[in-house]
Amino acid sequence: MRFVIHRLALFVAALFGVSVVVFAALRILPGDVASVMAGLNSPASRVEALREQLGLNRPLIIQYVDWAGGLLRGDFGTSILTGRSVTSLVAGRAAITFPLIVLGLLIACLIGIPLGVAATLARSSAARAAFHIVGLIGGAIPALWGGLLLILLFSRGTGLIGLFPSQGFPMDGWGAPGEALWSLVLPALSVGIIVGASLMRYTRSSLGDIAASGHIDMAMACGMMRRQAVIRVGLRLATPQLVSVIGLTFAEMITGVMVIENLFALPGIGSGLVTDVGNRDLIAVQSELFMLASFFLAVGLIVDLLHRALDPRLASADIVAEVVA
Amino acid sequence: MADNTGAHGQTGATTDASLENRAKSTKRNSRWWLWAIVAVIAVVAIIIGVNLAKPKSSTNPSVVGSGDNTADTVTIGLKLAPTNLDIRTTAGSALDQILIGNVYEGIVARDEHNQVVPAIAKSWDESKDGLTYTFHLNEHMTFSNGDALTAEDVSWSINQLIKNQYHDADSLSMVKSVTADDGANTVTITLATPNSNLLWTLTGRAGLVFDKDAKYDAKTEAIGSGPYTVAKFVVNDAITLKANPKYWGTHKAKTATVVVKYLADDNAAVNALKSGTVQVLAPITETLAAPFAKDAAHYTVKAGDDTDKYVLAFNSKGKNTADKRVRQAIRYAIDHEELIASRGGSDKALGGPIPSLDPGYEDLTGLYPHDEAKAKALMSEAGYSEAKPLTLTLTYANIYGTELGDQLRSQLAKIGIDLKVNVVEFSTWLQDVYTNKDYDLSLVDHNESHDFYQWADSTYYYNYDNTEVQRLYAQAIAATSDDSRDELLAKAAKLVSEDAPADWLFNYRVTTVWAKGVAGFPVNLNQTLLPLYDVTYAK
Repeated sequence: MRFVIHRLALFVAALFGVSVVVFAALRILPGDVASVMAGLNSPASRVEALREQLGLNRPLIIQYVDWAGGLLRGDFGTSILTGRSVTSLVAGRAAITFPLIVLGLLIACLIGIPLGVAATLARSSAARAAFHIVGLIGGAIPALWGGLLLILLFSRGTGLIGLFPSQGFPMDGWGAPGEALWSLVLPALSVGIIVGASLMRYTRSSLGDIAASGHIDMAMACGMMRRQAVIRVGLRLATPQLVSVIGLTFAEMITGVMVIENLFALPGIGSGLVTDVGNRDLIAVQSELFMLASFFLAVGLIVDLLHRALDPRLASADIVAEVVA
Repeated sequence: MADNTGAHGQTGATTDASLENRAKSTKRNSRWWLWAIVAVIAVVAIIIGVNLAKPKSSTNPSVVGSGDNTADTVTIGLKLAPTNLDIRTTAGSALDQILIGNVYEGIVARDEHNQVVPAIAKSWDESKDGLTYTFHLNEHMTFSNGDALTAEDVSWSINQLIKNQYHDADSLSMVKSVTADDGANTVTITLATPNSNLLWTLTGRAGLVFDKDAKYDAKTEAIGSGPYTVAKFVVNDAITLKANPKYWGTHKAKTATVVVKYLADDNAAVNALKSGTVQVLAPITETLAAPFAKDAAHYTVKAGDDTDKYVLAFNSKGKNTADKRVRQAIRYAIDHEELIASRGGSDKALGGPIPSLDPGYEDLTGLYPHDEAKAKALMSEAGYSEAKPLTLTLTYANIYGTELGDQLRSQLAKIGIDLKVNVVEFSTWLQDVYTNKDYDLSLVDHNESHDFYQWADSTYYYNYDNTEVQRLYAQAIAATSDDSRDELLAKAAKLVSEDAPADWLFNYRVTTVWAKGVAGFPVNLNQTLLPLYDVTYAK
């Protein structure tokens, strides 16, 4: 319990820190949303008028309190340039990025975990080397190149086997669920293969660690076959570690899948953020970064808590530590 | 970690082999392989099945294709997306491109040769002294919301622009009054001083007509009198235009729905065209267009005339670039033919500030021909050589790619200039170069038309201050005949070019590609002016 409270307090403190850093960093960055709005053929007076109108000339403290006060009320503000609420902007983008990540991770798990187990089970050195090479190659493929390859192979119009659309998200979004899901298949595959390869290596090495600590030998001594021992005992013991890895990968992928989103012309969170930073759309960038950071922190928090739930040894270690202290 | 696994795997394998041999037979293995084979066969079967089914469905329409089968939707791919729809306050040609002539209409418009043509006004009279313009409006005009478009709306729109200092308001600074006469259906604009650019200015944002009585969020909606309405706008992604059922004029939309997709990534754009997601791409780089040009049976590739000037500005008040010899040397050192050839060859050489579609154009490419010897001589006069190079920094926005900077660096290295290339975000460029004028060299695609005023304004970021040029420009603006205006502008442009405050790398001509069956897509000026009413697509 103490751990949970401690962890929550840390979470809140970090959120506050993030809001200050994000706000300050954007003011230090050169560039100005007013001059972006005014463009190349406006006199300086127009930029000044826009700054005044947008409230950019107010003292920084007031601007911060304004924004942070909104955050406390759950109001992420309105994007200066697009005139839409940041929440709706992010929601629209998240409706692409999150399903893409979930699908990608699903593929990654389907590829990575069985391959990792198979690599651990492999007996001949040739097979083990083969798995090793698969892991290395899979992890070394640049996302962009892998995506292009998939387009060349499977996209409608350009691919050898025209199965999937390779460009864009349907105009109706999830209003056309089949079409929307279909348009995410290739991007999710290109993400899934790469993440799958690293998941495979994680699976293998954590199974290796578990085997090295004797759990598998013990299980086999109790009469299990090696395969059974690895899958039933080894995987169960590796689960907390894998959950941590998958959770953190999920958070990392929110902006990490940007390359893939660009390649497949999907207007997701990453590319949206880059555009907004480029335009110096202050309120939008501030709130988006804040949301991202809180999401990262929240995922970290959940992973930590889950980790403890899945691995009771950690809690008891805590108690021991408390007793010692 | 990997070593650990390997080492353990081996010891594990030995224990395990003996245990497992005792435990059970290995029959299971054969079943495992069987499943794998079944799975592979199933996947292959699905792929073959889908492939057999696909060609049929895609050939079917083209078989029927002999009759009238114009598609009711055309999807076009553009590059730069507008951030919002508020054309009165937000800069950027992406808005002009999508909204002017499609959703909003001006009091006058311009055609694909950059000439002024009637729009909301069917004709106009100009007084002899050039101070009064009377516009005779069309009858029975309506906005897309059903409101009537009257002379009141026209004068209100222009007066609002001036009063609220909306974008481009400074181009109407000489306007004394704008008055409407609803009875006569005319609008009269009186000027304090004559302005030979007035009509052309009114073809752009300054002349757009808005509905006085409509209340809407201009950032997300648009109510105009044009042939299309904005049905949906997804920021940074797409705009759906639907034919305006209340459209009053002669440019009635030929295609019911036009979807505009914004494809920032060039590869994504090419894939979108190849896969049929879009039927038109504008712009496309010439290199990427080459495969389409070869496939003439399915695609048409065309380069259009534009007013885009790639301006390599030299800060005329910069520490090193204030020296005219350095600026001239740079102009002699640049091999324009090489630059143009490396981009594909469609762009046109441009020796001065006025492109061929603008008034006052004259071929000035002979002023500073590529001449390395002359460039070196000027540099040594200024005190620099290859052994003792001059270090200059070129700052430009990342939207133009890195190739141009690299080419310029290698061309200028030959004459003893060590060019540092600093590629930044556009907003950073705006701050450092445009606003603070803190730069040596800068590169921008100035795509605006009629923008010679930049050279007559000593406060513009070029830092160029020549009173003779300013005088000539003022005369050209005050001229009451087009001929004398053109002559004065040409004279001023030549002076500017001679002073070498910049080098005009080339006049960018936008390449457009479309799939077979598309007709009526504008090729000239299509990054700023893209009337879509005529576009059709026959499958």
